[in-house]
Amino acid sequence: MRRLLPILLTTAALTATPVAANATEPVAVSVLVPITGFLALEGTAQRNGAVLALDNPPPGVTVSYQVADTATSPEVAVTALQRALDRENPVAIAAPIFGTQMLAMAPIADRAGVPLITVSGTAKLTELGHKVVYRFFPTDAVVKVAQARYAVQELGASKPAILYQTTAYGQSGREHLVRTLKELGVEPVLQEAIDPGIRDLVPALERARAAGADSLLLQLHSGPTALAVRQAHGLGIGLPIVAGSAMHQPTTAALVEPVELKGVCAETASSPVSDTDGEMAAFAEAYRKRFGTEPDAFALGQYDGMRMVLAAVADGARTPAAVGDWLAGHRYRGLAMTYVSDGTGNMAHDAVIVCYDGVGRVPAVVKRYDAVDGVK
Amino acid sequence: MIEAAAQLAVNAIALGAIYALVALGFVLVIGAVGAVNFGHGELVMLGGMVAVGAATLLPADTALPGLVVLPAVLAVMAVAGLVVAAVAYAPLRRAPPTSVFIATIAVGLIVQHGVTAGIGPEPRRGPPLVDGGVVDIAGIGLSHQQLATIAAAAALILAVHVLLQRTRFGRRLRAAAQDPEMARAIGIPVPITIAVSFALAAALAGAAGLLLSNQYLVTPTDGGMLMLKAYIATVIGGWGRIWGAALGAFAIAVFETLVAAAASYLVAEALLYVGVLAVLAFRPRGLFGEAAGRRA
Repeated sequence: MRRLLPILLTTAALTATPVAANATEPVAVSVLVPITGFLALEGTAQRNGAVLALDNPPPGVTVSYQVADTATSPEVAVTALQRALDRENPVAIAAPIFGTQMLAMAPIADRAGVPLITVSGTAKLTELGHKVVYRFFPTDAVVKVAQARYAVQELGASKPAILYQTTAYGQSGREHLVRTLKELGVEPVLQEAIDPGIRDLVPALERARAAGADSLLLQLHSGPTALAVRQAHGLGIGLPIVAGSAMHQPTTAALVEPVELKGVCAETASSPVSDTDGEMAAFAEAYRKRFGTEPDAFALGQYDGMRMVLAAVADGARTPAAVGDWLAGHRYRGLAMTYVSDGTGNMAHDAVIVCYDGVGRVPAVVKRYDAVDGVK
Repeated sequence: MIEAAAQLAVNAIALGAIYALVALGFVLVIGAVGAVNFGHGELVMLGGMVAVGAATLLPADTALPGLVVLPAVLAVMAVAGLVVAAVAYAPLRRAPPTSVFIATIAVGLIVQHGVTAGIGPEPRRGPPLVDGGVVDIAGIGLSHQQLATIAAAAALILAVHVLLQRTRFGRRLRAAAQDPEMARAIGIPVPITIAVSFALAAALAGAAGLLLSNQYLVTPTDGGMLMLKAYIATVIGGWGRIWGAALGAFAIAVFETLVAAAASYLVAEALLYVGVLAVLAFRPRGLFGEAAGRRA
């Protein structure tokens, strides 16, 4: 009941009207993302990014698309996928950020040969030999390396404390952070696992202080990241913070006073709100106008992914197999970075570090790490 | 060191006071109808969101915005409680308790997805009760916000105690909970008493949501986790025991703060659930015994 109700409630409401751009034969794209449940924030960003791209196809391309909510269970996601395959005949699918759902969907999409375009960070997705998974967000093997390198090489951290979530997201990030720190010759003084239901992070911060930490590395979801930053400021801990990608989300920064953000940095794939001119700024403005909210890196990753699919269609790829081949064999210059497959479907290989100045809630990009995993 | 311990102790009391408000509302419904309101966590979340929304209507320079919106939050949530009673309890009052708790699960999901669809999935921060200053007590700096949270929660808990123990309504409510047939026979309007219990429980949930939302934020998906805490507090304190549930709520907060600081969150959580298992094994009716006649 809990699992099925969200899709029943929201599918009808969120089903978009097909878009007709011009006279060419339309291609169908399905957007299957979690719009309800604990990943609704990231899933909504995914949906928005995909919809913005699909609403503005390149000349000569006509797209119809439908949006369905995958909520937070693999069963709902698989049902949505099968329904889309049966009824929509899509050339590609914008697929959930939730790795557990992706792992359930990938074998079915594999059999159908339909590319899944996702920003999910789950490492296994591209390690299981699926030929249809294309990931447009850097994995932990990229962003966590950037986070650790920035803390050690730029901030001089030698005794970091890692606060991480007990979820798969948190544990994967911790593993990559610890591995990279070890390669850099640094041993964390504390690794604290935090359940997402925990409301008070002062105990973890006090334990970090007691352990003699000289910096805090966070791998927490949006709300806990904001809490950690606020409570660290309230305690006067005074340690530099390098957070995970949740911190770059404008919705996270909105929960924290600008002064509390001073000295806080974060890893991310991109920061769409940070550019004041050029294509990125135009994207951010169009996004605000369309959805009334600020874009984040998940939205931009999904936007870039769908734009690459549309570029494939514009280049003559009209079937799922042709689109998949095009994605696997081409380089594509997106707004966030240049995407190219590493042979397993990992398309994103760059990361950036953003920092807040203590005056506003818009961070500045202070460091770029290109081709972190060696793929150029 | 002493300052850190004092800060943690204050955090534990503040968090425990909020959890106690959550648990009190939860137990009120159990006492009134003998069934669990599984949508109670979502009502706490809704109260936080109502507070966030109400605060946006205030002028930017309003002093004590949290206290200003508190009456509105209580009123709106009391109405929400009446709606829950009308939708999830009244049509099923002759059905087994399982029907009621399934209905409340449905109501909770509708509230959660309604909030997500209506205002978005992002976490939000509610209005502060008071300013963000710090008071110095014996050389230890304690935040005004935490102290105000404790004071507000204590006042509400005391008010509920007085209402239930010292007023005619409280006696009627307790009578209706203990023996609805007898209460009806002596002229107590049981349906109205039950509806008011739902309203009171939802108002307390709303107050808890308001108090949580500034210090600890509020997210549309918070309901399940809050519901779990209320349930555990009730198991510890005794099914249907108001003061037992409050004590259970404080125990959860102590584990989440003081024990977590001394050991780690994982150890604290493990110890808490070992404690819950011990209560179930040796005091299966909870530390204060069981007041409600039926469990759901």
